[in-house]
Amino acid sequence: MKGLMRNNFFAVCANAKVFSIFMLVFGIFSVAVVSQSLQIGYVLIGIIGFSVNGIFVAKNGFGSKWGKYKLTLPVKRADIVKSLFWNQIIWMLAGTAFGGIEIGLSTLLHGCAFDFPIDILSLFTMGISISLFLGALFLPLFYLGGEERCEVLLVIALLCAFGFDFVIISVCNELFDPGVIGILLGNLVLLVCPLLAFALSYPVTVGIFKRKEY
Amino acid sequence: MEHILQLEQVSKAFPKSGFRLDNVSFSLPYGAILGFVGENGAGKTTTIGCILNTVAKDSGTVKLFGREMRDADTDMREKIGVVYDGDNFPAYLTAKQLAKILEGVYSQWDQPLFERYLREFHLPSGQKIKHYSRGMTMKLAMAAALAHHPQLLILDEATSGLDPIMRDEILDVFLDFVQEENHSILLSSHITSDLEKVADYIAFIHDGKLILTASKNDLAYRYAVMRCRESQFLALEPQDMIAYRKRDFQTDVLVRDGKEAQRKYKDAVVDHVSVDEIMLLLVKGERV
Repeated sequence: MKGLMRNNFFAVCANAKVFSIFMLVFGIFSVAVVSQSLQIGYVLIGIIGFSVNGIFVAKNGFGSKWGKYKLTLPVKRADIVKSLFWNQIIWMLAGTAFGGIEIGLSTLLHGCAFDFPIDILSLFTMGISISLFLGALFLPLFYLGGEERCEVLLVIALLCAFGFDFVIISVCNELFDPGVIGILLGNLVLLVCPLLAFALSYPVTVGIFKRKEY
Repeated sequence: MEHILQLEQVSKAFPKSGFRLDNVSFSLPYGAILGFVGENGAGKTTTIGCILNTVAKDSGTVKLFGREMRDADTDMREKIGVVYDGDNFPAYLTAKQLAKILEGVYSQWDQPLFERYLREFHLPSGQKIKHYSRGMTMKLAMAAALAHHPQLLILDEATSGLDPIMRDEILDVFLDFVQEENHSILLSSHITSDLEKVADYIAFIHDGKLILTASKNDLAYRYAVMRCRESQFLALEPQDMIAYRKRDFQTDVLVRDGKEAQRKYKDAVVDHVSVDEIMLLLVKGERV
């Protein structure tokens, strides 16, 4: 597992470096300019962007025979899938950290740019939720559809992740009162649903991957 | 004789392409090199896939170290080193990074040994694999396959595309590896000269079927090709022939025992036969 995680890290590293530089520059700008929409954009781009970057590692093995070679290593197929799910979580957390630092610095320097501080929680919940849905959808689809369709599957998974989030938010808005408790409950639902999807997606992905031939 | 690898009646069909691996059986003893030869598309890679579980066989058994290997048997894969043809590793890695990955995968990873191979093969450890030549990537794959002290090396066209000097160097590494009596190599190739140099046994596969398995000594000293005129060919008994191929004015006939054939058919010309010629006769000729 350690080796697989290292493999994923090396695979993501080059792209992550470029994206980190972009996030750093964008972060400085959004800290300097007091704008709520800029901050919303920054947090969502950070979490989802790093997640997309991380999830793309699934494709990297298939430019060479590495994807097939990995199956000859003393690792189980389930471990290969598990490493991809962990990789997704790690990069999502990296994006969350970037967003957290930006919001923290901006709040420290200019005060809270949001109407209510709880909106910050909702923002992060939404980012994490989209990212988890993305992973939950993309990874089984990737093994099902084949690595050659990686890009289009990623786009489909990302759009579906946004769609699911908007549906959940709409339903929560209908179900819960607009007070703090209602928002907290909505955030809870928005977090639990993708977490469940993510957890369910793992055995499904393992099941698909176990039947794949290379 | 104990076998490190045994295949019995292994079959695998690919309905889309119509290709079928048909009841392939062979075994590889400890301390030996088995050359697995066949033209492109004959079924070598599929057979190796069935051995390594990258392809799910439809029927038959594959035993490694005396038992069937399942996905969960990671301990068995610790004892196997694999080299595929071409790019085994992602181009964005360096040899140093690759070592870090494999160190985290193999419990017996030997970093000093890997570094020794890198030095011996003149491979820069800090350079990205994408900047390596084909020969260098193959050497790196060999180094990676050997650095965890495997007992069995499975090499799928590992020498194809290499120049003769590099091939020679790599073949020397194979010969070195089988000095240990519990080490074996399954070497798939269509470069028959490589197999003639290092293999103890040779298995011929054609169109998904194993058509001949023999020791290299038998192939070199017993098997022979008879150059027959039409009348001589017609006088041959079918049980003496393995395969024949008609050419302009003669028919080449592959026989299992050249000396016996010479005794029996005194006026026929009997020549030693190369692995290349055997393959041609078996593939292009008519099998009896």
